[in-house]
Amino acid sequence: MSRKFLDTESPGWVTDGLISEAQRQQLLARYPQEAPALGLLPILGSVLVGLSGLSVVAANWQGLPAALRLALLLGSLLGSYSAGAYFLRRGNPDLGHGLIGLGLLLFGASIILTSQLFQLVGYDASGLLAWVIAGTALSYVYGSRLLVLLTVLIGAAVQTYCVESLGIFSYVTAWLVVGGMGYYWWRRPDTVSATVLAVGLLWQAGLFIIVQHSKITWFFVPAMLIYAAGDWQPNRAGGRALQVPSLVAAYLFMFGLAIFGEADAYANILRPPLLPYLAALVAVLAVSVAGKRARGRLGTLPEWLLLLPGFYLSGGLSLAVATLVVLYAHAGSVLARANREHDPEQLTIGAVLFVAATAVAYFKLTWGFMDKSLFFLLGGVLLLGLSWYLRRRNAQVLAAAAPLVAQQAGTPPTSAAAPEAPEPTHNS
Amino acid sequence: MTDLLSWFSAPARRRPLLRALVAAQVLYVLGVAGAGYATTALGQRVILATTPIDPKDLLYGDFVRLHYAISATPLSAWHGSGAPQRRQAVFVLLATGADSLSTAVGVYPQAPKAGAGQAVLRGWVTDVYRGSFALRFNLERYYVPEGSGLRLEKAGRLHPLRVRVSIAPWGQARITSVDAATK
Repeated sequence: MSRKFLDTESPGWVTDGLISEAQRQQLLARYPQEAPALGLLPILGSVLVGLSGLSVVAANWQGLPAALRLALLLGSLLGSYSAGAYFLRRGNPDLGHGLIGLGLLLFGASIILTSQLFQLVGYDASGLLAWVIAGTALSYVYGSRLLVLLTVLIGAAVQTYCVESLGIFSYVTAWLVVGGMGYYWWRRPDTVSATVLAVGLLWQAGLFIIVQHSKITWFFVPAMLIYAAGDWQPNRAGGRALQVPSLVAAYLFMFGLAIFGEADAYANILRPPLLPYLAALVAVLAVSVAGKRARGRLGTLPEWLLLLPGFYLSGGLSLAVATLVVLYAHAGSVLARANREHDPEQLTIGAVLFVAATAVAYFKLTWGFMDKSLFFLLGGVLLLGLSWYLRRRNAQVLAAAAPLVAQQAGTPPTSAAAPEAPEPTHNS
Repeated sequence: MTDLLSWFSAPARRRPLLRALVAAQVLYVLGVAGAGYATTALGQRVILATTPIDPKDLLYGDFVRLHYAISATPLSAWHGSGAPQRRQAVFVLLATGADSLSTAVGVYPQAPKAGAGQAVLRGWVTDVYRGSFALRFNLERYYVPEGSGLRLEKAGRLHPLRVRVSIAPWGQARITSVDAATK
C-alpha cells in the first residue's frame, strides 16, 4: 500500500467511522513518507551530460594520445565504482549496483580498447578471462541480481568470441561460470538469477557442441545435467527456476521432432552412437532421480519423458505417433501434478501443452484424410470442448484455493476492503 | 567456518574487498598496456609481407584485415612427426632475407632454436590441405585511425604491404606499423 494512497483515502475512513483519527495518525506514522531517493531531473541531466561527454570522446578517440586514452578509460572505471560505492552507502542500492555494473562493463571495455591500442590481440581469451573473474567476485561481494546477470552475460559473450573469432572453446571460461556462478546459485537460489544462469549455461553448452562438431542431440546431456542440479537444490523454487530453460529446450526439440520428424533426412544430424549417448543420458537420469528422491520431488519425474530418444526410430508415421504419445503423456503428467498439488499456474501450463499436442496431432495425422471443411469443423469442436473442460477444471481448483486464501487474509473472499490480499488470478 | 559466499558478502568486508577488486582491475589494464610497450621495447623486429587480397574484404570498420605470405605454408616445411592438426599451436622459424622481409624457414610443433638473423613466431593451424596448410598468428587485424584504412586498402590492392612485427622474448607479438612502401 503506498503512502499516497493512505494520505488520500484515510480521511474518508475516519468519516465513515472505520477507524478513529488517532488510529489514522498511527497508520500514517507506521508508513513514514519516504525521503525522495534522487530526483528524476538530476538523473536525466547527468545522463545527458554524460552522453555528450561520451560522444566528444568517441568522436576523437583515434586522435587522442595513448596515455590520455588509457587515463580516460581508467578514470571512468574508477569513477563509476566509487560513485556506486557512494550510492550504496547512502542507501540507494539500485543506483549503486547499477553504477558498479557500469564499472564492470567499463573494465571489459578497457581491456578490449587497450589491447586494440597496442595492437595486442591476445593469443586466446585469457585477457577477457579477467573480466569474468571480476564479475564473479563482484557478484559475490554485492549479491545483486544485476551483477549476476552481467556476469553470466559476460561469460556467454567471452565464450561466443572464443568460438566465433578464435575457433576454440574456452574451458576456463565455462568452468568459471559453472563453478563461480553455480556455487552462488547453490547458496543463494534466487529464481531470476537461477533462470538467467541456466540460460547462460545452455548457451555455453550449445557453443561447445558447435565447436566439437558433435551431433546436436548431445546438447541434452549437459542441459539435463543442469536440470539434475536443480533437483538437488534444497530450495524448491530456486531449483525449479534452474530447470525451466532445459525443459523448454527439451520440449521444443520434441515438438520439432513431432512436426518435422517425418522425413528421415535428419538421421545424420541427430543420431549419435546409440550406446554412449544412452549411457550418458541414463547416468544423468540417475543423478536427477537421486536428487528428486532426496528432496521428495519424485512427482516431477515424468518430465524426463521429453528426453526419450525418439529420433532413433526411422522416420515416418511410427515416429510421428511416438512423439505425439510422448507429448500427450507429458502434458497429461503436468495436468495430473497440477491437480494433485492444486496449482493453478501449472494447470494453465498443462492446458497449453495439451492444446499444443492436440494441434500437432490434428495437423499431422488427419489433414490428409478428410475434406477441409470437415477438418475445420472437427477441429473447432475439439478445441471448444477442450477449453470448456479446462475452464471447468480451473474454476474448481480456484474455488478450492479461494477459501484458503480468504482464511489467510482474514476476510471473506468477496470483500473489496482487502486490497492487500493476494488476488485470485483472473484467467478463468 | 563460514562459507565462501558469506565471507565475501560480509558488510564489514565490502569496502576493502571493493577497493582490492578495483585496484586489481586497474593494475590489470595497466599490465596489458605495459605488455604492449614492453613487446615493442624488448622484442625482436621482423618485417612480414602480406599477400594482396580482395580489396572489398580488406577494410573492416576500424581495422584492416591482413593476410600474410607466410600464412600459407607447403607441407614440406613441416618438421613434426605426423601431419599437422587443425587448431594445433605451432612455431614458425623466420629468417630475414636480403630485402629485409622475413620468410618462413620451417614450421615446428615445439619452439626451435633461432640462429642469428632468425626469429620464432607462434601461430595456429587453421586448415590443412593436400599439399599445404594455413596458419593464423593473431596478427591478422590492424586497428587504424578512422580514414587512414582507405590509404592502406588502396596500397594493399596493388602491392604487398610491409608489416613490422615485434616479437617479445616471452612469445607475445604485436604489429608496430604497417607500411604501404612500394619497392
